[in-house]
Amino acid sequence: MRLRQGQFSFLPDLTDDDIRVQAQYAIDNGWAVSVEFTDDPHPRNTYWEMWGHPMFDNPDAAAVVYEVNECRKAHGGKYIRVMAFDASHGWESIRMSFIVNRPKEEPGFRLVRQESAGRLVRYTVESYATRDPEGARYA
Amino acid sequence: MLDNNMKVTDAKKRYSAGVLKYAQMGYWEPDYQPKDTDIIALFRITPQDGVDEVEAAAAVAGESSTATWTVVWTDRLTACEKYRAKAYRVDPVPNSPGEFFAYIAYDLDLFEPGSIANLTASIIGNVFGFKPLKALRLEDMRLPVAYVKTFQGPATGIVVERERLNCYGRPLLGATVKPKLGLSGRNYGRVVYEALKGGLDFTKDDENINSQPFMHWRDRFLYCMEAVNRACAATGEVKGTYLNVTAGTMEEMYERAEFAKALGSTIVMIDLVIGYTAIQSMAKWARKNDMILHLHRAGHSTYTRQRTHGVSFRVIAKWMRLAGVDHLHAGTVVGKLEGDPATTKGYYDIFREEYNPMALENGIFFDQDWASLNKMMPVASGGIHAGQMHQLLTYLGEDVVLQFGGGTIGHPHGIEAGATANRVALEAMVFARNAGRDIWNEGEDILRDAARTCTPLKQALDVWKDVTFNYASTDAPDFAPTPEVSA
Amino acid sequence: MTDEPTALEEKASPSLPQSVDLAAAFEESGVRDVLKELDDTMIGLAPVKQRIRETAALLLVDQARRQLGLATETPTLHMSFTGNPGTGKTTVALKMADLLHRLGYVRKGHLVTVTRDDLVGQYIGHTAPKTKEVLKKAMGGVLFIDEAYYLYRPENERDYGQEAIEILLQVMENNRDDLVVILAGYADRMDRFFESNPGFRSRIAHHIEFPDYTNEELLKIAEIMLSEQNYAFDPAARVAMAEYIASRRGQQHFANARSIRNALDRARLRQANRLFNEAAGPLDAAALSAIAETDIRASRVFRGGLDTDRKPAREAAE
Repeated sequence: MRLRQGQFSFLPDLTDDDIRVQAQYAIDNGWAVSVEFTDDPHPRNTYWEMWGHPMFDNPDAAAVVYEVNECRKAHGGKYIRVMAFDASHGWESIRMSFIVNRPKEEPGFRLVRQESAGRLVRYTVESYATRDPEGARYA
Repeated sequence: MLDNNMKVTDAKKRYSAGVLKYAQMGYWEPDYQPKDTDIIALFRITPQDGVDEVEAAAAVAGESSTATWTVVWTDRLTACEKYRAKAYRVDPVPNSPGEFFAYIAYDLDLFEPGSIANLTASIIGNVFGFKPLKALRLEDMRLPVAYVKTFQGPATGIVVERERLNCYGRPLLGATVKPKLGLSGRNYGRVVYEALKGGLDFTKDDENINSQPFMHWRDRFLYCMEAVNRACAATGEVKGTYLNVTAGTMEEMYERAEFAKALGSTIVMIDLVIGYTAIQSMAKWARKNDMILHLHRAGHSTYTRQRTHGVSFRVIAKWMRLAGVDHLHAGTVVGKLEGDPATTKGYYDIFREEYNPMALENGIFFDQDWASLNKMMPVASGGIHAGQMHQLLTYLGEDVVLQFGGGTIGHPHGIEAGATANRVALEAMVFARNAGRDIWNEGEDILRDAARTCTPLKQALDVWKDVTFNYASTDAPDFAPTPEVSA
Repeated sequence: MTDEPTALEEKASPSLPQSVDLAAAFEESGVRDVLKELDDTMIGLAPVKQRIRETAALLLVDQARRQLGLATETPTLHMSFTGNPGTGKTTVALKMADLLHRLGYVRKGHLVTVTRDDLVGQYIGHTAPKTKEVLKKAMGGVLFIDEAYYLYRPENERDYGQEAIEILLQVMENNRDDLVVILAGYADRMDRFFESNPGFRSRIAHHIEFPDYTNEELLKIAEIMLSEQNYAFDPAARVAMAEYIASRRGQQHFANARSIRNALDRARLRQANRLFNEAAGPLDAAALSAIAETDIRASRVFRGGLDTDRKPAREAAE
């Protein structure tokens, strides 16, 4: 399967130049851009690991591409995403999020059903990758 | 002889039994300076032939506040000067002879805090059937911060909705399950699964899908949640389906909403026809239960559409932001339902901004401070398709749910293909916009390029390329972009 | 340059333009404006201006060659600016950033000025993030490293400067599209720095030397500095200033234009003091704007030097 999180997951994988252009859009809007990675892509895994702090003071998105590539060197076999944070009042949250790196194999998710009274079913989505311990996932 | 448009200040004359003009009773005060805490209503009045517009405005002020048709001495037991609504300004409507804009100020103490029912019982209570008027329309309202703060506001709001869905930087995508009526629960869930797996974020019950012989509500909820969770596992995304909990009684609505919650749904839905109090109750329930609350504006066109009579949708939008819903339909500009671009922009601003400055060209007559109430997510649905993506993104922006019902399910290669076509078109358009391209003019090229690597999009563009809905709008703004209005 | 047309006809592929108009590119890119500004606003520096004109020409031609498909690589644009303090290196770096921006070699055109302290940390693991932060800030523009040779301290083999140097070299090589690095400092020390760090030497394509200003140039600079603040020398003060410059040059911590700026700051202070003490009645604009001979001659420079100056450290640092 292909993980569909993020705003560009239905497009072909982004090139470094694509990443730069999108990150520049965020910077030009006054948003801080950050790089995060994970080996647990569960849809409700909110907190991916931060690859450094959000970049608050970089006028050019080459800095983002630089950090993406540094992160790839260390975590190339995992998911890496770029996020943009908007600090303005009334938002103070994320404005953009897109995946820039994926593992070679994406095993996807298992749906676990627990039947209960009155046809009620409780659902759990479980990432196949997380059957292995942290650090041992995605080879 | 008393002047018809002058307040009678002599107490003896003012309160002697009989009938006075409303203006004479003190409902017309041209020198009145509205207080920051006043609620202000702007009415479009069309007086009967021979009725003076000032007297008509005063009558609206009177009938929507303390007055009755005759003088009553019991007024003198009250601080009636304060409680009297005051018409303070009447302007002719540009290019519409016989119509006038009447500005009426109401003291905050006239209203119960946190009750849309009470607000509307005053402002649109009896007065709309008042005989001296041919027609009456509530165009806009200024809600003071002091009053806004007595309401909960949207249960979730745009920002937290995005955080819960883990979806940023692009409009959300939805589809209403079709056909509207007749699908069994099992078949209905199939549509939900295909559409969500194909790339939509949401599917939606239609407004009249409640609990009918062909599909009772529990069946629908069970099959829909199976579909939602299957799609979630297939894509790794958070998905949702608006489960319509509209029912005959509040008790039944709560029961349905609780079941939706037990099944793990992120969102429930209600219809505008359940009434303002029921809407506020459901908003409280949604806030308490971490649920996004979708409101379908079923029935609104009966009173929002005509220019001279009824209530403008922008007022309904303001009331619903106070009442506390998270989603509300607000027009598409380009689709099959009513909505010209300027007026629709006004609605969207009311939904999504923290502060609305006066913008006559968008039908917004007052500065409105939303006092940090959450933002409402507008929903655009009705006759839109992937080929219009550049127009939709330009007109409606990023914080909107684009609902492609027919535009998903009617895809020649199936529902999943339809959903994928919409999602690819959307992502490609957002990508191009961010990259600085002129999507308004290059939109079709951008879509064609994206279709090169996405066959479903190519098919969608081929099928719907000529579908447009170009009809004159019945509710366009009265003011041109550079209006000349006397201050 | 004159060879270009023949080469073009042979090599250009059909989809590329057949010819380019360098004069038009010169105008449209705004390079002409930058060079003119450089000429108009900066006194002297003839060899520097000449080198910048040459660099601009090279880049224009390179741009044209790329348009015609004759070149594809981004040229190496890292530079060294050598010269004594106060010879205009930072100012020229600003103009250079503007020039590179207009020619499309850097995307933003801002200048980030740093010294060793901004790049090198004090603890293990401190330096790499610090250097990377600076580099990221400079991306899209020009990074100006003043007194770059302080990065290299051979006497201390565990000096963290080496870590900064390695990251710098890596980025100068791999991110040539993203930033231009200018190393600046005294010529002799920079030469020694390049000798011990051949990695830098090979990555620096343009060396620009900044000569000291002549006495006449410094006097002219002094007059311009004053007029920018709506002051002027009276004739006797102008003569005194010329003598001041001649003496100052031979004394400690001489820093060209910077020494002049400092001297003028002190002269304005003395002028204000003089006006305050002497003025009996209302003062007109001319009186408030005139620097008099005494305002200059009161300087310690005329009494043999700045040994007692309380701000030597500030003057020494460029």
